[in-house]
Amino acid sequence: MRVSVLQENLYKGLSIVNRAVPSRPTLPVLANVLLVTDNQRLKLSATNLELGITCWIGAKVEEEGATTAPSRTLLDLVSNLSPERVDLSLNPRNQVMNLKCGSTTANIKCVDASEYPLVPEADSSRGVAIPADAFKEMVSHVDFAAAKEDNRPVLTGILTRFEEDKVTMASADGFRLSVRHTLLEAPVQERTEIIIPSRTLTEVARIISDNDPHVLISLPEGRNQVMFHLADVDIVSSLIEGVFPEYEAIIPRKHATVTQVYTDELLRACKRSEVFAKDAANAAKIVINPAEAGPGSILVTATSQEKGDNRGLVDASVDGDELEISFNIRYLIDVLSVIKEDQVILETSGSAMPGIVRPVGRDDFLHVIMPMSTGR
Amino acid sequence: MPIRLLSETVAAQIAAGEVVERPASVVKELIENSLDAGATRIELEISGAGLSSLRCADDGSGIPAAEIELAVQRHATSKISTFDDLMHIQTLGFRGEALASIASVSQMTLITRHVDEKVGVRISLDGGKLVDKQPIGAPPGTSVEVQNLFYNVPARRKFLKSEATESRHINELVMRYAMAYAGVRFALFTDGRETFRTTGRGALGDVIVDSLGLELFRNMVEVVPLERLRPDLAPIRVFGYTSRPSFTRANRSQIMLFVNGRSIVDTRLTYAVVQAYHTLIPQQRYPVSVLMLELPPEEVDVNVHPTKAEVRFRTPDAVFSAVQRTVRQALSDQPNVAEVTTFSGWNAPSATIPEQMGMNISDAGRYPRQTPSQQVWTWDEDDEAFVREIPVGMEAPARPRKLPLMRVVGQIAATYIVAEGPAGMYLVDQHAAHERIMYEEFMAQFNAKDKLIQHTLAATVVHLSPMIARLLEEHLKVMNAIGFVIEPFGKDAFRVEAVPAPLADHNPEDVLNRILQDLESGKEPGADTIEEKIVRRVCKTASVKAGQVLSYDEMVGLLRQLERCENPLTCPHGRPTMIHMSAADLAREFGRT
Repeated sequence: MRVSVLQENLYKGLSIVNRAVPSRPTLPVLANVLLVTDNQRLKLSATNLELGITCWIGAKVEEEGATTAPSRTLLDLVSNLSPERVDLSLNPRNQVMNLKCGSTTANIKCVDASEYPLVPEADSSRGVAIPADAFKEMVSHVDFAAAKEDNRPVLTGILTRFEEDKVTMASADGFRLSVRHTLLEAPVQERTEIIIPSRTLTEVARIISDNDPHVLISLPEGRNQVMFHLADVDIVSSLIEGVFPEYEAIIPRKHATVTQVYTDELLRACKRSEVFAKDAANAAKIVINPAEAGPGSILVTATSQEKGDNRGLVDASVDGDELEISFNIRYLIDVLSVIKEDQVILETSGSAMPGIVRPVGRDDFLHVIMPMSTGR
Repeated sequence: MPIRLLSETVAAQIAAGEVVERPASVVKELIENSLDAGATRIELEISGAGLSSLRCADDGSGIPAAEIELAVQRHATSKISTFDDLMHIQTLGFRGEALASIASVSQMTLITRHVDEKVGVRISLDGGKLVDKQPIGAPPGTSVEVQNLFYNVPARRKFLKSEATESRHINELVMRYAMAYAGVRFALFTDGRETFRTTGRGALGDVIVDSLGLELFRNMVEVVPLERLRPDLAPIRVFGYTSRPSFTRANRSQIMLFVNGRSIVDTRLTYAVVQAYHTLIPQQRYPVSVLMLELPPEEVDVNVHPTKAEVRFRTPDAVFSAVQRTVRQALSDQPNVAEVTTFSGWNAPSATIPEQMGMNISDAGRYPRQTPSQQVWTWDEDDEAFVREIPVGMEAPARPRKLPLMRVVGQIAATYIVAEGPAGMYLVDQHAAHERIMYEEFMAQFNAKDKLIQHTLAATVVHLSPMIARLLEEHLKVMNAIGFVIEPFGKDAFRVEAVPAPLADHNPEDVLNRILQDLESGKEPGADTIEEKIVRRVCKTASVKAGQVLSYDEMVGLLRQLERCENPLTCPHGRPTMIHMSAADLAREFGRT
């Protein structure tokens, strides 16, 4: 294999696929990145057997070939090369790859490409297209609410449902629920529901660049996998098997108090309380107070046995009854942080009833948080 | 066989059986007589485990010559005269049986001189019969020599244990009296060899060093009397010494209890001591304790048993709780970290290791982390800079610091935190430490009825095996009290609507199963309340696990929280949270001394 690429392209490609390289590989070869010449391009692939990423970069191929190079080593080396042409040539007999860039040369010990597992590529002709920006925002609205622990595998994934011209993503970790939907570029023929690992979606959202107008999602038949196709990158991921909880029933249809507040003000009040709430299982109390005349207020308070306490008053327009409710303040911060709109609405109906957070002026996103309470 | 009155000798021998069952009981009676006579020095000589000869000499008040014959009669005593006196017994003996009983089963020689008399007297008895009496020159005090014990009761002799066992009993008995009467000089000679001696300087600690050894004493903490909780109740003072949680024994025999200077056997109070170590020491391990109880004489009835080993308290519960509270307090006041014992193959004699590492310019590189001018290496409580108290809570008073200040160095095996403190290196078991933190937080919340619960999104329905389901039904109230909101939901199914906040990150079904399995197997130590059992399981589940990589901040946070714990040194199951390797140990290991 003899191939020349630009340092910045190689670096970009390597850093994209490196995200699929497992930190503790089950197979030693999985710590490597697969390099294959593909027409006038160099294909880089990596997989941890659950998530696979393939990236193509422009190259001048002088001799076709393939090998696998240790991902970390190659990435660390390439990131420190000067932005020039990088010449790679492999000695197939001893699998040593010589790298030349300007005045630098390096020899990297590689492993034969035949030892590397197959990384499937997406079929770009089929699939459902979602505008890239909408996709990125969707993922940011739901991925944080997925369960982190492995003991409820279904909840570590994000329910993704395609129905008519709409795609809906929902995530829940037992105490909060995020639901977001967006329009598809073209309607789907049949309703499909899959559970995608939240990590996969986070990676796809991260990889999306300005060059990508949309994300093409396809489901290869009978493989229990999902594929994401971008301009130069393919991502394949296994799906989570199981039944996602019926989340629609959880979303309260009625509420006693509707509070509208500036996102940023409330977020900062929450962050201040978190300083103290950290010591008390993150519990912070929120007192919603409709004023007799004029605007009402939200009071966010937290108390730490050892550090002290904090009270933060935020102006709000309150419609409904006065209410006291405790939340895990981290949950509130998480959702407020991903809302880009100026104002949010908080819907509550009792201190033991779920609270709903949604951005003002749109109905495609809502977030449900279960309260905490002390004693009974 | 016709009924007839027993001869005096036989009657006396039968009565003696109650009081004198083995040589040690003779020793006990004689020592008590000496103590009641106000002796400041008691010397015992025994040979043949006290069976061939046994001598007890004191410098007490002595017996007046005129009363000597009466003294060896049954029911003759100078200690009480009316029944009312029984209620206010200040002396060890009072039954007036001892001398007579001993005399009836041995050949006894008694030499005594009353302090107010010029000449002493010597009497000899054989099987209780007076055979000789004559004046003799003697120092003030009494000396009783008992020979051929049980010579006329062969049956009793047969039932005695080996000489070594009997000697051991005597030894332990003398030791106990020496502890109870630290102001009296005791000396014990066994077969002509001195086996035990105390100084009589009056300090209990000295006696413990003499009797249990310096090594053990080093591992003990002083138990100081607490203030009275209830001024309306009789005062109960408990003091003495008790071993640190890191030092345990396999049985309870070294829990020594004394009531008003009387060594007693009381399983309930022994249990009170063990209970005080609850969660601090592992199961089936017991502390070493020497505890003195002082309470007004009318609160204790010692007239329960002829050997007076058992006593009755008027308010047994108050005594129990006094013992338990005082010992617990002593333990939790005490900073104490298990020491690592490393191999000592290096030649360095430990005595030469400098305990304090000051600046030593001439020997650069010897202690690379020297700090100029301040000897920060030793944990000196008198040091002004030493942080002795940590403020807790808004209203709570500051608590004494129980752990040294520690600086996190790193983590090994994703299981232990390595920290450096003033006295060397500490290894902290992250799981055990977190368990302790959680446990105390949880219990505090639980006791304050102020527990934080997290409602679940969709009330999870858990299906349990029938047996576990019955258990849950049985303990539903307790589970709900500690912060679960669980409702029965059909056969063997339950709806979990809320969980205690610390468990929010865990699968409720998992947690329930684990808690209930523990209840079923009942493998948690101690006879604690079901609440504590459950809470301990909750904490175990919610704590960081071994094998979890912690960030630097997490480790610092963990140690800071641990510092605030009441009992930071053990996890709720009694395993240590940290071990300590002193700077001196490290130096020794590297052969730097």
